[in-house]
Amino acid sequence: MNAPVSPDALRRQPTDWKGDAMRKRIASRYASERRFRRIGLAAILMSAGFLAYLMISMLSGGLGGFTRTEIAVRVDFPKAPIVIDPASLRGEGAEAVLSSVNWQALTDQAATSALGKDGAWIAPGAWLVVRDAVKADPAILQKSVTLHLPASAELDVAAKSEGQPAAEAAYARLEKAGLTSRAINWDFLTSSDGTDPTQVGIWGAFKGSLLTMAVTLLLSFPVGVLAALYLEEYAPRNRWTDMIEVSINNLAAVPSIIFGLLGLAVFLNVLHLPRSAALVGGLTLALMTMPVIVIAGRNAIKAVPPSIRDAALGIGASPIQVVFHHVLPLALPGIMTGTIIGMARALGETAPLLMIGMRAFIASPPGGITDPATVLPVQIFLWSDEVSKGFVEKTSAAIIVLLLFLLSMNSIAIYLRNKFERRW
Amino acid sequence: MNGVAIITLILGLGLIAWLSARAKAMRLAPAASQTGDRSRKRPLLHSLPSYHGWYAALWVLGPALVFLAIWANVMPGLVTGRVLQDPAAAALPMDAMSRSAILSEARNIAQGNAQAAFDPRANALIEPYRSANRFYSLGGALAALMLALAGGAFAFTRIRPDFRARTKVERVVMSALLLASLIAIVTTVGIVGSLLWESLRFFSMVSPLDFLFGLKWSPQSAAMGYGNENAFGAVPLFWGTIFIGAIIAMFVAIPLGLMSAIYLTQYAKPAARAWLKPMLEVLAGVPTVVYGYFAALTIAPNMRDFAAWIGIHNASSESALAAGLVMGVMIIPFVSSMADDSINSVPQSMRDGSLAMGATTSETIRQVLIPAALPGVVGGVLLAVSRAIGETMIVVMAAGLAANLTLNPFASVTTVTTQIVQLLTGDQEFDSAKTLAAFALGLVLFVVTLLLNIVALQVVKRYREAYE
Repeated sequence: MNAPVSPDALRRQPTDWKGDAMRKRIASRYASERRFRRIGLAAILMSAGFLAYLMISMLSGGLGGFTRTEIAVRVDFPKAPIVIDPASLRGEGAEAVLSSVNWQALTDQAATSALGKDGAWIAPGAWLVVRDAVKADPAILQKSVTLHLPASAELDVAAKSEGQPAAEAAYARLEKAGLTSRAINWDFLTSSDGTDPTQVGIWGAFKGSLLTMAVTLLLSFPVGVLAALYLEEYAPRNRWTDMIEVSINNLAAVPSIIFGLLGLAVFLNVLHLPRSAALVGGLTLALMTMPVIVIAGRNAIKAVPPSIRDAALGIGASPIQVVFHHVLPLALPGIMTGTIIGMARALGETAPLLMIGMRAFIASPPGGITDPATVLPVQIFLWSDEVSKGFVEKTSAAIIVLLLFLLSMNSIAIYLRNKFERRW
Repeated sequence: MNGVAIITLILGLGLIAWLSARAKAMRLAPAASQTGDRSRKRPLLHSLPSYHGWYAALWVLGPALVFLAIWANVMPGLVTGRVLQDPAAAALPMDAMSRSAILSEARNIAQGNAQAAFDPRANALIEPYRSANRFYSLGGALAALMLALAGGAFAFTRIRPDFRARTKVERVVMSALLLASLIAIVTTVGIVGSLLWESLRFFSMVSPLDFLFGLKWSPQSAAMGYGNENAFGAVPLFWGTIFIGAIIAMFVAIPLGLMSAIYLTQYAKPAARAWLKPMLEVLAGVPTVVYGYFAALTIAPNMRDFAAWIGIHNASSESALAAGLVMGVMIIPFVSSMADDSINSVPQSMRDGSLAMGATTSETIRQVLIPAALPGVVGGVLLAVSRAIGETMIVVMAAGLAANLTLNPFASVTTVTTQIVQLLTGDQEFDSAKTLAAFALGLVLFVVTLLLNIVALQVVKRYREAYE
């Protein structure tokens, strides 16, 4: 069936590399090489660009959340409708005296007399600033002082970006009068969730995160390390060991929300542990983190050379002594690195905690692991659902705090890895 | 006596036992100058003194703590029993519901968890509760202390030079190790058991066929009493999950992840790689709630504007595209590191052979490395898909709740994980089909991700073996 081939074509010619056709061919091959390389670079730059876009949009949106707009208000204490003897604030019972005063009315009155109808743009919680000023220096009760009171959420939004027309107009008036200023909002770091965006803070959620992480670490680290030691050093090769290994590897790949379902069904509905508590959150996250620690731990233990074990056995150590006196200390940096990475993952986890009810509105920091609590990522989720525009920058600000925290954890892990990693 | 105090006390006793047992063992041991001397009076210790210490400490702590754990579970029943014998309990109503309500109210006040009772009948029971509580907690504490002392005394009498304390202690350590590794199995059994149990309850209300093949998902209507038929068809959810997690996200993640891996392994200089690789890992370390917020706040409005610009006007602000794109970015590092591994495990000789024949680097990559690494890459992609369909926060925040069966990426779809969160938050009655449906969805998700993982790991493993 083949077409007859002429003898000329069968005679082999050396490739003419200098010829036009060949040059063109090589040029196009090199061009495609360059193209391919550029596509690769573009792919990685796109990922980097996305990361940069995410970080920049969080930073630009969130840095404002750490500041607040303040309005200078002249408070004339002698004319104010309160009667406090400054001396009574210096000794015992100062708290009782302070709490008996209607600061809200005092503040509202001062704002109205100083600013006219723009006095309404003072934040509902501004009286706290007045009270704290009096508490810090009771002498101002006989004077007329200028206090910087936080502005309401609407005015704050107007000052930082586009707000409602009325708020924008008020801000323009106040700014013209030179009464507005920008100050760092320390309350954001020290207070808890609330309904007014000017008063909310992340301390409650942060403390909840710390408590949850403490429970997670206390449970998952010992169990994870012991399990890794058993599987790597002592486990006989049999069906049971295989089952343990398979289930650990599978658990590491189970979606986190499934752990939330487990927590809901077992910890809450069967064991009746308290809902929304850091204890249950920590338990659930510990189950999730344990496989990560086991896998990292096994790799670290595997990296310890057998000569160490042989030497220890050779001078008469028992198998337990070999492991606890020699192998474990050498593997510990690797285990710690894996643990920190697992903890960082658990810290950013949201879905399983939603399942066990940690999405409740918690206005005071939890006192212990059985108190209702929320955690940073869940707080971010809750604020992102809020309608009020003031919460947008608070959400981004909370994200910045979370990312900084994760970044520092990961840096510690990398530092540990670089400092203690030994190549045998 | 409260729990913390008694546990501290027992721990203190354990420390004392450790110190004194070790001291006793040390006294039994021959002096250092005698150890080499064959004519010594005292025999050598079998175990180091600290093992004798641990042995005694374990005997103090173990029985007492186990007893306390059991007692904490048994005590409420005993307390209630004693309260019911109190004359004040005779006035309780007979029907079980209000009876237990009053009892639990009185118990809460007695323990300081509540301030005042709604039901005045509970007030009479507070005092009996307090006294019963005192009685049993004091009794439990005393019994635990007795056990600790008895255990310590027993261990102390057994300290002798030839006593094999180390063997005994090591046996305990060994069982602790075994127990720790069994927790993984217990967790797996717990997951499977709880999902199966609740799902079976769900399937007793809704037929599995309706659930798996039904086309209409509206659990709200079932909750409002329109019946369970035709309310729990999960196909739109499955489609939404696949559409977002396995199609749109993979359109982003596979090309970008694969090309990133190729660039990093084949082209990048070591200095550049030292920076670019950690950067990709940062992408993997960003919490999903941050991605979700970003998708909902930044990407989704842009997508809607983009859709309007190209002429699609009914675009949803909770489009599948926004959630899928962001999820794809989240998956990039995952695909990239799997591809990195499999490209690296192609033998160097194959690449050298191709380059020696005059192929350019890109021709080598496309015609030799990728085909050779393909099974590994496919396995990695399967793992990435299983990760994407189990991802929750991005879709909860950026994808919608409308269960649509649509191919339009600008429309809103919903996913399995979104619905699980939706069904289980808010008011929970634990026996309604609406709540139990979440567990059935969870079971499906668990089984599918498990299968994907098993298949992927098999593929990767077989591929690795081919080159070893």
